Amino acid sequence: MVIDQSIYEVFRKIGKHLVRHGYNTSHSGNISIRSGGKIYIKRRAAMLGDLSFEDLVECSLTEEDSGSLIASTELGVHRAIYLNTDAMAVIHAHNPYCVVLSLIEDEITCIDAEGFALYKKIPIIDVKIPAGAYYTSIEVPKVLKNYPFVIVRGHGIFAKGMTLEDALQYVTGAEQSAKIRYLTLLTGKPLLRDLSQEGDFSDW
Amino acid sequence: MKGMNNQILRVELDKEKTSIVKIPDSILEKYLGGRGLGIKLLMDYLPPKIDPLSPKNIMIFATGPFGGTSVPTNGRFSLVTKSPLTNGIFYSNSGGSFAISMKKCGFDGIMIEGTLSNPGYVLIDDKETVSIKDAKTLWGLDTENSLKKLKELEGERIHCLMIGPAGENQVKIAAIMNDASRAFGRGGVGAVMGSKNLKAIVVNNGTKKVEVDNKELLQKYVHMALDKFKVVPITRSSLPKFGTSALVNVINVLGMFPINNFQRGYDEKAALVSGEEINRKLFQGDEGCFACPIRCGRLTKAGEMTGKGPEYESVWALGPNLGIYDLITVAQANYMCNQLGVDTISCGGSIACAMELQQNGMLDKKELTFGNESVLINLIRSIALKKGIGAEIGEGSAYLAKKYNSYETAMQVKGLELPAYDPRGAIGHALGYATSNRGGCHLTGYMAALEIFAAPKKIDRFMVGGKPDLLALKQNQKATEDSLVICVFAGWALGLDYYARFLKSITGIEFDVITLTQIGERIYTLEKLFNIREGLTKKDDTLPIRFLNASLKEGSSKDHVVPLENMLNQFYTVRNWDNEGIPTEKLLDRLKIEH
Repeated sequence: MVIDQSIYEVFRKIGKHLVRHGYNTSHSGNISIRSGGKIYIKRRAAMLGDLSFEDLVECSLTEEDSGSLIASTELGVHRAIYLNTDAMAVIHAHNPYCVVLSLIEDEITCIDAEGFALYKKIPIIDVKIPAGAYYTSIEVPKVLKNYPFVIVRGHGIFAKGMTLEDALQYVTGAEQSAKIRYLTLLTGKPLLRDLSQEGDFSDW
Repeated sequence: MKGMNNQILRVELDKEKTSIVKIPDSILEKYLGGRGLGIKLLMDYLPPKIDPLSPKNIMIFATGPFGGTSVPTNGRFSLVTKSPLTNGIFYSNSGGSFAISMKKCGFDGIMIEGTLSNPGYVLIDDKETVSIKDAKTLWGLDTENSLKKLKELEGERIHCLMIGPAGENQVKIAAIMNDASRAFGRGGVGAVMGSKNLKAIVVNNGTKKVEVDNKELLQKYVHMALDKFKVVPITRSSLPKFGTSALVNVINVLGMFPINNFQRGYDEKAALVSGEEINRKLFQGDEGCFACPIRCGRLTKAGEMTGKGPEYESVWALGPNLGIYDLITVAQANYMCNQLGVDTISCGGSIACAMELQQNGMLDKKELTFGNESVLINLIRSIALKKGIGAEIGEGSAYLAKKYNSYETAMQVKGLELPAYDPRGAIGHALGYATSNRGGCHLTGYMAALEIFAAPKKIDRFMVGGKPDLLALKQNQKATEDSLVICVFAGWALGLDYYARFLKSITGIEFDVITLTQIGERIYTLEKLFNIREGLTKKDDTLPIRFLNASLKEGSSKDHVVPLENMLNQFYTVRNWDNEGIPTEKLLDRLKIEH
């Protein structure tokens, strides 16, 4: 199947945003969508911030195929997410503030009003080998069944959405909440208002 | 299952016999209630290929596990039957208070079969007693007067589903009115009720409490949900302030507001019938369904007439789609449809078809000219009474256009007239029309949410990539919502993550987003199997040819057509249906559908 030009345009826009705003290094991170019963994913080692048309790879949704020769290393995680959740688009990024907090906390409670209203908290999971697809493809979809995103401790975020733009907002929103929490912690001062203490959100 | 009574009322009209059908938890956990329970029962009880207007047809009215709890917008319920307009599955959804009264009488639903020998109505009371009463004095009355008479007979606390003269005359675009102002509007369901000689179903306000597993937890989630209703602009201000007609200006600016039977997609004059104008000229007050914080209903006054509405679709169908921009005329035509029990969308769509036939010299009725508002009220009356050209228009646009050798003039899918979004302006929405199990419907998988309203995020309305996948997901989600049952507008603030939490706290059973999505897929697939059983094929998953090969010439959607074939094949693949649109055995096994 020929890849739709409009799909490429969306990949280019989202990839550029992720790199320009520091969510990924020049070659890290990967993004994909589910379309026509296939996965379209970034090519392995392609520059996310400067994707060409050929940097999009079509792969089977349900099984290993030859696309995996050139597709992102984390194709297996993307596929597992699509097969086990309602995701239509997936972004994996290395958000610095999210990664920092994942090294010192077990979940990120949103203390900013927007983050609290939209997400309440950002779950963190431990995976035996955080990079690559082998373990993450088992653990990440379990969380994404009920959350829009999850941070793999010390590694980065996986976010799902109806569209790539939808997933991008989860990635950037999580980073914003993590940044505000991190900077607030740095001040060492107590919170004058803590939204997360204004109700029992333990099961959210 | 907690949240449900696990029983429906079965009424066999020809035998004047009622009984209770027990619904086991195993069925409710697979189909929930509402639309899902309806299709399951229809598949089990309805013989294949019957005439929808024969005594054998079955009507199933059903509420779901949210009904009667504190979940916002839970006052809705579904009707499932075989449509005389499409000859396929029909699911419809209505609000008001009937559903909650029915559930509090001890029934999750009512299944109507057979035909009465004389006009009658069914009365259900709080003690699970049911009677069938004579309706001779009601037959021929419009819906407002029927309601008035029924309240005199049965008391002020009743709620009623009823037909008007259009249903009695088995007009194929007849609606069932709900307390005279809300409707199971589409698909000719009023004709099915009329064919059964059944004027009304009356329920006395029940007193049974709905059992909830964890009330405290449910209340917590409900409070969080109500907070979301307050912060989302559409549920906080747009719908409460302007009702659904807030859409008029938005859709017109996008060049996809159908004018004169979809011959154009934009008209400056559309602003004359906008939500703002309705507020200025007609608005008397707002109104909401049971447990609804949105209150999108409009109480209005047009000239000497008062009533409810018009809603966006009705404004359009009886207004600009006929070249009419006089709001008083449009509102009065809407009241007239409600009183006579006629579906406003199909009524407008079929009249528009007649007007285009006349415009093109195929129909010799000079008064049927776009913009001729003076004919509208009498035309609606003649449709309901099956008089003159009204008798032909009341058969629906597909029949009419075929009769006058111009089938391409009928703006319908599977026989159901299209609603107020030109599909050339949003091609995912277009695919939704083509593949909706009930025919030309915008609600079955509302892609306009993404393509127009950026919910959750905007997607290019003309791009193809990913649309079949997104549509399938949205169709599944909507099937779930219609089975829980919850209002489509709640979806602007909430989603399946909230619904799963509500359901878990009501039933005590573990539900998550994925389980609910899969239930929706099961329901959608079973409906498709029903349509296949009734003889519908791939050729029915299409659009009027105008949308495939003729672009709009002005406005923001000009120069686009719908690339349907490519999207349709992808859609079948995504759904695990074969090249002919038939669900595969592997899929049926996965969804645990018996076959």
